[in-house]
Amino acid sequence: MSAASDLSVALRDFSANVRAEDRSLILRLSGNADMAAKDSLDSLLPRVHAEAQRISATEVQVDFRNLEFMNSSCFKSFVTWISEIGDLERSKEYKIRLLSNPEMHWQRRSLHALRCFAVDLISVES
Amino acid sequence: MMTETPTAFELTFQPNVELISTVRRFLSDFYERMIEDHDTVSRIALATHELLENAVKYASDGATFLSVTFEPGATSSTVSIRLMNRANAEHIAAVATIFEEMSLHDDPFGHYQIAMARSAKRKVGSGLGLVRVRAEGEMTMSHTIEDDRVTILAQTTVTARRRS
Repeated sequence: MSAASDLSVALRDFSANVRAEDRSLILRLSGNADMAAKDSLDSLLPRVHAEAQRISATEVQVDFRNLEFMNSSCFKSFVTWISEIGDLERSKEYKIRLLSNPEMHWQRRSLHALRCFAVDLISVES
Repeated sequence: MMTETPTAFELTFQPNVELISTVRRFLSDFYERMIEDHDTVSRIALATHELLENAVKYASDGATFLSVTFEPGATSSTVSIRLMNRANAEHIAAVATIFEEMSLHDDPFGHYQIAMARSAKRKVGSGLGLVRVRAEGEMTMSHTIEDDRVTILAQTTVTARRRS
């Protein structure tokens, strides 16, 4: 069992941390999510998923606003996570809100693709 | 302003994880001075990054040739990203399979969504890199194979804005 405060990654070029707010989790990403971040993200997202279920979260916000770039391997980590939420019983599902930065142009297409992948679960805000 | 001068950027190197992001950032800075549309520059950067990562994963001798060219035209300009590396037979077959699949899907975004659903259950690799370049990068993709040399070409058209 993990608390939100234990959910963090700090690499040279990428970092992530999670905080809880009522029945929501806020996952904040920053830096460059390339191959060097892949293993950390692969390890982090299942733990975020487990924590969201533990606290019966209604929503997880993922803050991309300071994320410079995300490669397809890290993108896949999100796809897997979203797929696992979709596999939950309806009563245990939670929503994901993606916070984007309009100045990071790649985010518009990438986050739109994620939203289309699970339109009932995901919203995008800029 | 968009430059009216053809430009070409060529690099032969042995990419690693850190160098790929370095090249992506350099290309972004470079082309932001050539092309005023930042969204286009972002697409070029994304495509270059994904193609280079593909090469890092699969190049049999590590060496990779990257070329990015910008050819301005009267009404539109063309950006071409070309990646060439040697690869083993297994990777060559995998690349051919991806291109065959892309040829069967006229809608790049629809194909991307299919690839994402498949990727969600994969334990190794994402299978998304080239599909993402086509869909998110809005690139026309082609490839050639000569012996063990794989060349991938990604191209996009940019609407020209003439200097006033």
